[in-house]
Amino acid sequence: MNGYRTDVTELGEARRRVETLVSRLPSGDGERSFDHPWELRAFALAVAAYDTGHYDWSEFQLSLIESIRQWESSRDDPDADDLDAHWSYYDHWLTALETVLADHGAISPDHLDDRTRQVLATPRDAHHQHAHREPVAIDPARS
Amino acid sequence: MTTHVRSQEEIAARVKALESIMIEKGIMTTEAVDRLAEIYENEVGPQLGAAVVAKAWTDPEFKARLVADATEACAELGIGGLQGEDMVVVENTDDVHNVIACTLCSCYPWPVLGLPPNWYKQPEYRSRIVREPRTVLRDDFGLAIDDSVEIRVWDSSSEMRYWVLPQRPAGTDGLDEEALAGLVTRDSMIGTGRPRRP
Repeated sequence: MNGYRTDVTELGEARRRVETLVSRLPSGDGERSFDHPWELRAFALAVAAYDTGHYDWSEFQLSLIESIRQWESSRDDPDADDLDAHWSYYDHWLTALETVLADHGAISPDHLDDRTRQVLATPRDAHHQHAHREPVAIDPARS
Repeated sequence: MTTHVRSQEEIAARVKALESIMIEKGIMTTEAVDRLAEIYENEVGPQLGAAVVAKAWTDPEFKARLVADATEACAELGIGGLQGEDMVVVENTDDVHNVIACTLCSCYPWPVLGLPPNWYKQPEYRSRIVREPRTVLRDDFGLAIDDSVEIRVWDSSSEMRYWVLPQRPAGTDGLDEEALAGLVTRDSMIGTGRPRRP
């Protein structure tokens, strides 16, 4: 069971590679920052699927631009709510990823909707509500 | 889709659903996603836990409050929120090394530690760390715990989420809190690693 540790140099190189990729995208607030765990998760999913050759990066890029463009045009609609307050770069990121994967037939939107409802319907840690107040295992000192 | 504003809960569920489908369909592996997330994970969470640890290392009164009630002590620093409601900090000493797991699901104090790595969620880690903690720490994490030290494995649940207060490394007397925080790694707060040396 290896692979838990990542060499620091390897990490630095991986980061440079990813930075090169994202530098070609419209940027959110100018820097890559994550306010919520799901944002990082969505970010990693998009890069991982690209890495395995499921789409060209330019397709993802166009899809992201399109999602943001749509949001901007709806913002210009005088009847729209105050959408500025709801700007979320990674919301568009997720939409772009879903769109690209669906375009390639890799996922079906209905399937994703169903699965999302399932996740929402499952109480957090449904089977694990009790506090454990003692260690579950102790490996005593041996000398 | 453009005008419907999704709640954080909805969108987090959607990402989770998407990830599970993508993995099922073999679009990528959990390891690949983990590796990518790891590049940025320090920008999501563990730096908060690291700041708490550094404060505990420099302020004995804060440390006492932290060990007595981690949730309250973290709230003093403005840290808390979803899934961090009942945090318990277990302190490493010369005689005891602590490590956390969740043997049934993947409970994790993410307000302080950020996202759990996928290996933390895998049944293999969960079951083995309980059965043979000393071996798993040595073989899988390269962390040799001296035979004179007892290892305690703590099982997080949704009601009580543990994390580890690592020991302050030697040779750090001259460092301020910020520099100390830079030494604290995510794994050192899970108990599968040690803080960095200056």
